[in-house]
Amino acid sequence: MARWALRRAAAGGVLLWLVATLTFALVSLAPGDVASRLSDARISPAVRERWRHDFGLDRPLASRYASWLGSALSGDLGSSWTHHRPVTAVLAESIPNTALLASLGLLLEIAGGVAFALAQLRRPHGTADRFITVVTLTAYALPTFLVALGLLYVFSYSLHWLPSSHLLSPAGELATGWAKTRDLLAHLVLPVLTVGIAGMGAVARYLRGSLLDERTQGYVVAARARGCSETRALLTHALPNAMLPLITMIGLSLPFLVSGSLVIEVVFSWPGMGQAMYAAALARDVPLLMGGTLVATLAVVVGNALADLAYAAVDPRVRV
Amino acid sequence: MNPRHARSPLVALGLAMVASACSDKPYPATAPDGAEGPRRGGQCVVGALADVSTFNEYQSAGDSYELQLMELLFPSLMVEQPDFELHPPSFAPSLATSWEFSQDNRVITFHLRPDARWTDGVPVTANDVRFTYLVQKDERIGAPGLEIKDYITDVEVKDAHTVAFHFSRVYPYQLMDANDGHIIPEHAWGKVPMDKWRATDFEEILVTSGPFRVAAHNPQQTLILERDPAWWGAPRPYLDRLVLRVIPDIASQLAQLVAGEIHLVEVVPPREAGRIRDHTELELVEYPSRRWGFVAWNNRRAPFTDRRVRKALSLAVNRKALVDSVYFGHARLAVGPVLSSMWAFNRNLAPLPYDLAQARALLAEAGWRDSDGDGILDRGGKPFVFDLAYPSANSLRADMAVIIQADLARVGVVCRPQQVEYAALLARLDAGQFDASISAWAEATKVDLTAPWTTPSDTQGTSNFMGYSNPEVDRLIAAAREEADYARAKVLLDRIQEIIVDDQPVTFIYEANDLVGISRRIRGADFNALSTFFNIDEWYWGP
Repeated sequence: MARWALRRAAAGGVLLWLVATLTFALVSLAPGDVASRLSDARISPAVRERWRHDFGLDRPLASRYASWLGSALSGDLGSSWTHHRPVTAVLAESIPNTALLASLGLLLEIAGGVAFALAQLRRPHGTADRFITVVTLTAYALPTFLVALGLLYVFSYSLHWLPSSHLLSPAGELATGWAKTRDLLAHLVLPVLTVGIAGMGAVARYLRGSLLDERTQGYVVAARARGCSETRALLTHALPNAMLPLITMIGLSLPFLVSGSLVIEVVFSWPGMGQAMYAAALARDVPLLMGGTLVATLAVVVGNALADLAYAAVDPRVRV
Repeated sequence: MNPRHARSPLVALGLAMVASACSDKPYPATAPDGAEGPRRGGQCVVGALADVSTFNEYQSAGDSYELQLMELLFPSLMVEQPDFELHPPSFAPSLATSWEFSQDNRVITFHLRPDARWTDGVPVTANDVRFTYLVQKDERIGAPGLEIKDYITDVEVKDAHTVAFHFSRVYPYQLMDANDGHIIPEHAWGKVPMDKWRATDFEEILVTSGPFRVAAHNPQQTLILERDPAWWGAPRPYLDRLVLRVIPDIASQLAQLVAGEIHLVEVVPPREAGRIRDHTELELVEYPSRRWGFVAWNNRRAPFTDRRVRKALSLAVNRKALVDSVYFGHARLAVGPVLSSMWAFNRNLAPLPYDLAQARALLAEAGWRDSDGDGILDRGGKPFVFDLAYPSANSLRADMAVIIQADLARVGVVCRPQQVEYAALLARLDAGQFDASISAWAEATKVDLTAPWTTPSDTQGTSNFMGYSNPEVDRLIAAAREEADYARAKVLLDRIQEIIVDDQPVTFIYEANDLVGISRRIRGADFNALSTFFNIDEWYWGP
């Protein structure tokens, strides 16, 4: 176990370094830099050169890379060129917003997916199964922005039930305690639904497939033969095994918890990592881009490792 | 040019009364209902495409939208008046109650209000004015308006409320240059070493002195400003709060405006203007902006080195039809290098006509003929083909590119529209690696044609990426800049405009109108091309 952890950590470290190096090169070699992008075309070249000098953009790429790597290794991600604050402070604002939305979305996606799959398996190939297949396939195929706009149109602009954007209303910003929480919850509904609906279809399709396989397996047949009800056979025997592929899916979803979705964040004016990284890329804010990339890559590494651990925990045939 | 008066066309603002969540009714006004005229109370929510990046304007890139907001939080010596149509801008008292010029006009002495206070109770004094000047001039900080203070040699503190600006020369824009940039608090920000400014978060040590102060800031989300009761303009502003909502998508801003969730959008796309105008609870306010657009020809690269070719291309583009179809009538044809809404505009000039015959004749004169009969002009065996770059994520310019392409095809010129990411495009323009580009500028209210139209060098022509060079224009611009009498300067400026229009270093296309969508519940708002919030202290929530 210790050797496994060491090996994974080493491999993860190498991956982080590779991704960081590649990203640094891509971002630095892209045409334009923070000084050309930030300034009005009329800001004098002298001022622009001053910015370039301050950010070290007048030094060779290798030297910039070396100093970035040196600081990063000592835990200093530097200061954002556009926010004028430490990169960690900017990330610390954006990641919780993204994580909140993505984790609730993920929960809804799993819960909804499992519920749909179980409903379908009550009578495979029956009317309900076919109907749900259509629904889940549609949900899976719909572009996220369309789902978001549809929800907005119905619940926000037509029915006026739910707020259309942001984490909090202006009144909620100034409120405290329960009033603030309630405001936040109201604002969460539509974005979480959007994330959930998009993923739900995939979960349901996966699970239905593996449940169909599992329910004909010997141990399920044996359970039924022992007098187990169909529901019980499905829920307590087939489901845990059918969930195995989902573990990989969830592990792979973990990066989404920190990287966010630009489309959803823009539509709902949600200040998460998607928007932060998009703006950083447009503005050529190298330190912020590098910081965001590192965190996202770390999430991939950790997500995969957790998925493997979870696999080993639920499936005795797998050893780490 | 004065970048600090420029505004970015990419920036939009929305303003609205609050409808929190969806069930809440708009924030109630504290004054009794039914009363006419301004009254105190109400909360106004301002939407924005992006959050403010800093509360210290000398740290930022001089984004004009941020400067509009800093105007609400920090004092200025004077307030520039929106009268640039008639003459160079005049000024109204603000932090300075009066000012006078010395006999030789080289010193301006300002007398400050004794009652002005920062939010922490410390008085606003002449020391703050001097500190601001030192910051503006400091190389380590590299503030965007650095060169604006070139002719100010010193700012002298006479006493706590008297400050004198010393100039190295006498010129027409002395008041404007002295006034440029908001006054910042020395006692709070003077402690930060200037070489640390770039990476300092000034929000942590924020003190302000304006009609509003910061009540709460949730980054990338909401900025809440509240009325500062200690402001010297009391009883104004009438609004209790001004809330900025970051809504990065303009379509979402419009949807929220129509739904009544926000009540003002600053940059209504021309295409959507009709929808806003026809809405019973909204009003569409339209006025000439300071933004204008053009096709920049690379004057250093053949065949655009030839004046006849540039002029022919301008004549061959049906600019009237282009502006009407892209701007739906919400823009005018641009004429030359000075906006038609400026006092310095040469009113004897008219836009070049749309004249295919003359365009063909000029091209033929320049040696471009269709010698192989393929419908494309050629010279020396090379066809007339060029790339027309424009920034991605700008649908208006994409539409323009396609129309220009079709128009030029009629005279046998092949134009290849080429979409380029914004930062990459700016880098290319800077390096002179382009044939032509659809660009836009926001004009300052200070008329100084040096940066865009003089021959590029270290100090001149600094935004002349087109590489335009005409010694006569250089000479006249320098003379106009020195001329202290604006009537005499106008004669020079008129001549400069004639020459530049004749040279067509760029094809002048449009002068855009600003289109503001506002809820009819907000009263007293008077927008102008200086700022959407120009008279924010007079806005009130109507009955």
